[in-house]
Amino acid sequence: MGLPVVRVSGVSFKYKGKKESALSDIDLRVDKGEFISITGGSGCGKSTLALCLAGFIPHHVEGEMGGSVIINGMDSRQFPPQKLAGIIGLVQQDPEAQLCTLKVLDEVAFGPENLCLSREEIKDRVEWALGAVSSLHLKDREVYTLSGGEKQRVAIASVLAMKPSLIILDEPTANLDPCGTAEVLRVIKKMETDTAVIIIEHRLKQLIPISDRLLVMDKGRIISDGKPGPVYKEYCRRQKHYFGAGLKSGSSDEPGLLVPEERRCKAGPVLSVSGLTVNCGGKKILEDLSFDIHSGRITAVMGGNGSGKTTLLLSLLGIHKPERGRIVYRNRDITRDKVSRRARDMGMVFQNPNHQIFENTVLREAALPSLMLYGDEVKAARIDALLSEFDLLQYRDGIPFSLSLGEKKRLTLVSVLGYQPEILLLDEPLIGQDYRRADIFWHAVLRHSSTGGATVIVCHDPDFVRSFCDSILFLDNGKLLFDRPVEEGFKLLAELGFKDYLPDSDFTGD
Amino acid sequence: MAKNLKNLFPGLAYVPGDTFVHRLHPLPKLLLLIVYSVSVIIFSQVVPAVALFFILLVFYGRSGLGPVFFLRKLRVILMFGLLMMLVQVISVRQGTLLWEYAVFGGVTLRVWSAGAAAGLVMMLRFINIIASSYLFVSTTDPNKLAYALMQVGLPYRYGFMLITSLRFIPVFTQELTIIRNAQMAKGIDLEGVTPGKALRAVKYLLTPLVICALNKVDYLAVSMESRAFGLFPGRSYLFEQSVDKKEWLFLAACTVLLLAGGLFLTRCY
Repeated sequence: MGLPVVRVSGVSFKYKGKKESALSDIDLRVDKGEFISITGGSGCGKSTLALCLAGFIPHHVEGEMGGSVIINGMDSRQFPPQKLAGIIGLVQQDPEAQLCTLKVLDEVAFGPENLCLSREEIKDRVEWALGAVSSLHLKDREVYTLSGGEKQRVAIASVLAMKPSLIILDEPTANLDPCGTAEVLRVIKKMETDTAVIIIEHRLKQLIPISDRLLVMDKGRIISDGKPGPVYKEYCRRQKHYFGAGLKSGSSDEPGLLVPEERRCKAGPVLSVSGLTVNCGGKKILEDLSFDIHSGRITAVMGGNGSGKTTLLLSLLGIHKPERGRIVYRNRDITRDKVSRRARDMGMVFQNPNHQIFENTVLREAALPSLMLYGDEVKAARIDALLSEFDLLQYRDGIPFSLSLGEKKRLTLVSVLGYQPEILLLDEPLIGQDYRRADIFWHAVLRHSSTGGATVIVCHDPDFVRSFCDSILFLDNGKLLFDRPVEEGFKLLAELGFKDYLPDSDFTGD
Repeated sequence: MAKNLKNLFPGLAYVPGDTFVHRLHPLPKLLLLIVYSVSVIIFSQVVPAVALFFILLVFYGRSGLGPVFFLRKLRVILMFGLLMMLVQVISVRQGTLLWEYAVFGGVTLRVWSAGAAAGLVMMLRFINIIASSYLFVSTTDPNKLAYALMQVGLPYRYGFMLITSLRFIPVFTQELTIIRNAQMAKGIDLEGVTPGKALRAVKYLLTPLVICALNKVDYLAVSMESRAFGLFPGRSYLFEQSVDKKEWLFLAACTVLLLAGGLFLTRCY
């Protein structure tokens, strides 16, 4: 077998200014050509491990590192990441931020050019790398015209062109829709290289058959490491435990659920949309949508990238003005109402928390929309209660931007729940969140609907949709394909051949 | 701020095309721009300035950017040029009296020959310099320009600074839209003119934008360094941006013609 590509011994890491270690006692050996999947909850140290393996820790990230990472016989402490670049390649989550040139060819050639290779060699490598991710047809495209999945493929090709001995993929599908995810995973599966692969992923199902090993991480440690089959089974069992116990039973046991049940039957639709057509920059984004949103219900909006899901939420809120159609809220036509008026009844949470945090303390951020929309004195007691429910009270007077991503996401939800809008509009709030972290989130949403509130949620995870939502609105190229109860909807999707949007169990067969 | 700049220089961006001016290699084109600008500065008489202006118009014509483009995109520049001319015409009182007009109450407008000439030259030089740069930017693919400059010795860090910033313009434009939407959803109304409101508006816009930018930069740095950016002082290139012999000849011919023609016209008039 020879020398391992990477040998990690006793590595621990603590970020500067943090009390807890992000990694502790990591031992790992990666051999040539191995395919390893790593999974674990948010904040379990997966990404930190990736940065360690690629040499960015200890060189770029501030903190204390213990132990050693030996890459092809070189100690990562002595060699900066650029020196390790030909040996270890790193593909990150954000498809947007890791491409640095304007054209696909320039992007894939970027690494080999930095290695000062000859023109012929670069040409060969570019062709080979694009071929390896089945993307030769993208060759002459401009980067900004690519879809998310295509961008990720180019990112993988540009790393492959370095001919590394090990390629690390850090949640390469986290920002992609189900089609993009399937596309990227298919490409990874087919990749014909003798490169060792480490892939960090939440969605394991497709990876199990091709992995040599599966590692599970928790709180900075590797808690299991072995044959993918058995490790996966064990992992699922524990996830189910959290998933089941934490959520469904918990909320349905709450007393008082029956009251909103009655209200649900009596009231007509909270929101009634008819013939909604929206143009953006001369392009038709939504075409002739008609549907109702009912109180006490959770409606999932599904569909591919560019099918108009986000536009739909923005149109409900009035940020996009409709070309045609009517939006009626509780028997009142609000089609022409101002955004600030509608926002009182509709609280929207956007995908990326960094886009929607404006204030300099957690408390002020949480109270901001109440203040802006109602000009109210802040109801401190309510905000505090919410902060403590979402486990954020200890940061009350801290700076929101120092929170972790998961904490920021919870804060954005708190700030909306703080003023009790009747309808929640949630745009892919769960991207990059694992099952356990999602549980607080779903708790809040379920409670919102149990008190008669309506929820419209753009969600990519069919398992979540099946477990929590009441109906599915499926958009395809700006048209409403159907509006059905969940189970019926999934059956329809299976019949129509939208395989990537089905829950893991039952439908996919394998 | 950005919006104001945009109003001042509307559409200052590459307009893809396949004309002679577009195809000319960025390097000789840049050198030609420099030679042209130097001529504009050296030859400060009326006739050479007019001649240079006509040469510029010919290039505009050949690049497929018609008079509409010229008048529309350079509206502000043209108006500013006219204003500069007026100031000169009114303030310089030398030469022969060309024109006189009694306005009212004893105020008389007089136009003197030297004033008219100085005004015309100043306006033309101003327009020539700006419009020629405008033409260069409109007909040169910035990506090609950056790669070409790096291959003749511009340190590649600077070249990629240009390329990555071009790469991220659409990304940040999109982020800005999302941030504006998020603000509206939270009832933050930026329409308001009181200083307090304006200050808060700026804060609410900059905070998330800066955070997002820093975030992206982190990703970008990791992505570039893990592909060996900065490992060696030099780097190789997949595409050679070589300049054709004909293009060098064209540049040389233009240089000679501009300088000789300029000298000739200056002597004659």
